[in-house]
Amino acid sequence: MTTLRQRLVPYALLAPGLLWLTLFFVVPMYFMGELSLKTGSLADGFQLTWAFENYTNAISNYSTQFGRAFLYAGVATVLCLLLGYPLAYAIAFKAGRWQNLMLFAVIAPFFTTYLIRTIAWKTILEDNSPVVDVLKFLHIVPQDGRVLATAGAVIAGLTYNFLPFMVLPLYASLERLDLRLLEASRDLYASARQTFLKVTLPLTAPGIIAGVLLTFIPAAGDYVNATFLGGTNQSMIGNVIQAQYLVVNDYPTAAALSFTLLVIILIAVLLYIRFAGTEALMGEEEEVR
Amino acid sequence: MGLWARIRENGVLYIGILVLVYMLAPIAVIAVFSFNDPTGKFNFEWVGFTTDYWKGAFDNEEINQSLLLSIRLAFFTAVGSTFLGTLIALALVRYQFLGRKAANLLIVIPIATPEVVIGAALLSMFLLYGINLGFTTLLIAHIMFSISFAVIVVRSRLIGFDRRLEEASADLGASPITTFFKITLPLLLPGIAGALMLTFALSVDDFVISNFNAGSNVTFPLYIFGANQRGIPVQVNVIATMMFTVAVVAMLVVIFQQRRAERMVERRADDDNKATVSIPI
Amino acid sequence: MSERNKKNPGKLFLLSLAGLAASLAIAACGGGGISEGTDSSEAPTAAAGNASGTLNISNWPLYIDEETISDFEKESGIKVNYTEDVNSNTDFFGKVQPLLANGDSGGRSILTVTDWMSQKMWDLGYLQKLDPNALEPIFDNLIPSLQDPAFDPGRTYSIPWQSGMTGLVVRTDLAPDIKSINDLFDPAYKGKITMLDELRDTVPLVMKADGIDPVNASTQDWLDAIDKIKQAKNDGQIRRFTGNDYVQDLAKGDVVAAVGWSGDAVQAQADNENIEYIQPEQGCMIWSDNMSIPLGAPNSPAAYEFMNYVYEPANQAQIVEYVNYITPVSGVKEILAKQDPALAESELIFPSEEFLADCTNQVSPPGDEAAKREVENAWVAVTKG
Repeated sequence: MTTLRQRLVPYALLAPGLLWLTLFFVVPMYFMGELSLKTGSLADGFQLTWAFENYTNAISNYSTQFGRAFLYAGVATVLCLLLGYPLAYAIAFKAGRWQNLMLFAVIAPFFTTYLIRTIAWKTILEDNSPVVDVLKFLHIVPQDGRVLATAGAVIAGLTYNFLPFMVLPLYASLERLDLRLLEASRDLYASARQTFLKVTLPLTAPGIIAGVLLTFIPAAGDYVNATFLGGTNQSMIGNVIQAQYLVVNDYPTAAALSFTLLVIILIAVLLYIRFAGTEALMGEEEEVR
Repeated sequence: MGLWARIRENGVLYIGILVLVYMLAPIAVIAVFSFNDPTGKFNFEWVGFTTDYWKGAFDNEEINQSLLLSIRLAFFTAVGSTFLGTLIALALVRYQFLGRKAANLLIVIPIATPEVVIGAALLSMFLLYGINLGFTTLLIAHIMFSISFAVIVVRSRLIGFDRRLEEASADLGASPITTFFKITLPLLLPGIAGALMLTFALSVDDFVISNFNAGSNVTFPLYIFGANQRGIPVQVNVIATMMFTVAVVAMLVVIFQQRRAERMVERRADDDNKATVSIPI
Repeated sequence: MSERNKKNPGKLFLLSLAGLAASLAIAACGGGGISEGTDSSEAPTAAAGNASGTLNISNWPLYIDEETISDFEKESGIKVNYTEDVNSNTDFFGKVQPLLANGDSGGRSILTVTDWMSQKMWDLGYLQKLDPNALEPIFDNLIPSLQDPAFDPGRTYSIPWQSGMTGLVVRTDLAPDIKSINDLFDPAYKGKITMLDELRDTVPLVMKADGIDPVNASTQDWLDAIDKIKQAKNDGQIRRFTGNDYVQDLAKGDVVAAVGWSGDAVQAQADNENIEYIQPEQGCMIWSDNMSIPLGAPNSPAAYEFMNYVYEPANQAQIVEYVNYITPVSGVKEILAKQDPALAESELIFPSEEFLADCTNQVSPPGDEAAKREVENAWVAVTKG
């Protein structure tokens, strides 16, 4: 029998954190929405005019950058999955005593700061570097071409920087895998490949989807990689938003762009939640009863 | 085992290690160039080896200020967001209550929001309220985007938690508060430590949200962004390498301690086994 | 367990509405902030007086030698905090705009931005008027060509720190034939060209190369020039639009020619001696970075003192030796001729009338807010496209 006080405990626990999030996430979002419907300039001030055309203008003007952002983020996410799954698998099952160290090695690069890592890639990929020479030798890069200031460099940067966000949820999901299920599969004469495809993969689906979302979402809004590694035709929607806010000071357009990006991504996330429930997004799975 | 079988068996491990090498490659480049001795402003071509910049790692006052700011910010962010996040995680895992789904949603959506949108939205709010951008606004922003991560980390630790230990403590007469502080919290510590570390790292690393909300404050990443225009001093490479090394060493110490603790537990268990009956819990 | 969660969308919806309502309530308490416009008609005059205390200055990087600040501190007894936090006009504006809109300078008594940004800040009412009586030494020593610029006649709110030229910065070993802005469009250099991402640096140069005087250019002229650049970008002619970081690409050889600034070329010699400033055939753009006293400056007397100090020819000579941009103070060339004749002869630091013959002062797009916005948006579409 729960007393009133006991019933209130969870709310007391939630209150500080959720209040923080409401004040500093939900309210700003509301303001951004309001700002996106205003017109004006810094000199004249901004007035609320229910300017829905801010949205239509912004989307039609910058549809290329939107498309590019989703394309680059999409490719980077796929690459992260292909690279991250083996790594997560290795850490979960093959690392033994080195597990914690390897896990740590995945997030250790965060301590050197995002910018420095990206700038380091700029050094590694400069036109005269040995790495580029090797790529030219392998004909991955044309002889008179370059790696920097191309879409390839931006995608490579995105993949590199968001790989940990793919590896960690995958690892969490793999670690919870009941090994006896894999053993059972083997006992039933399934090959290693069949076991993987029919047992491991489906059971780690929540982890895969969590990893995909955690990688795709920040990558789509990124502008740092495009700034440092990209050229003139690689600007993503994040670059435009940053320019509209800080350079042109056209806050309504910038807000409209931000909101549009947010809505598109939220639709994808909500679809996933509808499909798997909010707990699944955080990595928990159904218990096998 | 034949070679082919050995490869098949450990293939995944090898690929995993290769990916890990790929992840650490730029760090190696950063470290190498911290020993470079460039002639001009720019540090991208190898000129000569020198340890001058390691000796004078903290000679550049601007870098020092920005680094101190970043560390201060990250520290308070880690503590604040882990505290708030732990409370939320406890509520979410331990209790059934009305509004649980909404709470979940509110935690998840910030992660689903691109940084550029969060940074810009916060800026919109601060602008509209006429709030001055400064350390406080930075801290607010950082804690905000860190809470969700803290919740996730602590939550996963809580889920695997053996409630019977707490029940045993209650059965032995401890009050809920005592149980919390003597049983729950210590066992939760790895999760909390993980959350602290993750939120600290994310805060130190953050560029986009800080770019929008730092006002005149210059965090370490913001300094690098500005310095990139005119030539990044070698000290930056030195400090980045230092930060990485400190983190790795700290981790190794933790692992080492863990192994020692494990070995001690094993030894004690062995001793116990030589006694009569172990009380099944 | 998840069954129950999935089947309660109604509850979730109601809860979300409640949350939204709560947020709206909080938001309704919000203030005016940027909803009001601002203007310069009532700008206060910065107070003069006895200079003492602490002086906070914001300036561009690599714009002062190592001794001037301490020399000034000794002579005046004023403590100086000199911060090089102006890395780009727009980034800096983004940083201080919210503060200045509230009348708060963030502690600064002097900030240094380029002509067009000085004007923008003045128009928005963020700067204080300067008291000419407090600045007599300056008006005595300021070179004639900078005394009455179009954007600030009589220098009521801005005092030049240093001047510079925007033109061609070239790897003369890799591209010896580049002499004009139009050479940047030569397909022989495809993919090896960069241009500055600042509208007012690059576009007027392109207009000049096609015979249009930027001072009299119409909005359509600006848009046409932007179009030309857009073509080149689409053809792959331009590798990047850069901020201050174009020198790096030149030093590496990834780029052979860039739109850039005269002072950078001199400083870049240390990285690669083949980097040179080439004055475009049709002339360059001249600009100044100007010191201004912002609203809410805590110590304007000390600011005046500092400005006067650096306008003493002897003190200015010390700065010029290090900075390698064009000095706004007359009488410096003679002083340097004795100490460092090579520097005194340099066209880049003491350009002759001839060298500057076809150069234009920095301009902004013409017209009302809508026209300006059109040009700026066209430019963003090209640089962030």
